[in-house]
Amino acid sequence: MEEQLRALAGPRRRQILELVRDRELSAGQIAAHFEVTRPAISQHLTVLKAAGLVAERREGTRRLYRANPAGLAGLKQFIDRFWATGLVRLKNEAEAEARPGQRQPTAGRGA
Amino acid sequence: MTITGDRIEHEIHIQAPPEVVFRFFTDPVMHDRWLGQRATLDPRRGGIYRVVMNDTATVAGEYLDVEPPHRVVFTWGFENNPQIPPGSSTVSITLTADHRGTRVRLVHTGLPHPAIAPHHHGWAGYLAQLAGTTARP
Repeated sequence: MEEQLRALAGPRRRQILELVRDRELSAGQIAAHFEVTRPAISQHLTVLKAAGLVAERREGTRRLYRANPAGLAGLKQFIDRFWATGLVRLKNEAEAEARPGQRQPTAGRGA
Repeated sequence: MTITGDRIEHEIHIQAPPEVVFRFFTDPVMHDRWLGQRATLDPRRGGIYRVVMNDTATVAGEYLDVEPPHRVVFTWGFENNPQIPPGSSTVSITLTADHRGTRVRLVHTGLPHPAIAPHHHGWAGYLAQLAGTTARP
């Protein structure tokens, strides 16, 4: 998740991901869409690949890139985990709050 | 857990009365104890629901329904994200008393469907930014 976080933090990488969402493109074809250098695009692709968000396929001397649906599926689960984790914390805190004498009533924010 | 299209559902049992659980959704100090870093809450219809999650992500919306101690509904989105703006999805909390405490049901609707481009990339990105907040001890 940390890698996906970093990979998606860059707007350019999100644009690249969008570009290869439904089609396979070479690095050169991707670079043609942006006013940045080819090495810069390659670097973005490396990050996306490492995060599992883009799949690479070799065809002869060319490397073709396409969004990896499985990588995005992992992110789709995030909001679900967000609430699952939150609700467990809610349970712990509410049960502590309801237990007599276990916890002082909260008074003001810390610091 | 259930994920069906744009809908997420969770249910959890808490050994505390609904009156106590309810306050965790309406009192900012208590809200801070379980979600995000700092909440600004005005729990009445049209009142603000804003939670700073971390340095890069802030959830914002407004309360749509506040019925102590059984029901809270608020909208939910991210500041500075035109793809999932504040208010773009809806979270409904239902608290039902049972003999041992409270059954909490959370339904989150109106999320951008993952299959619908281009929203899901921005959505995923912001969710990814939130990852740090769920990893806290």
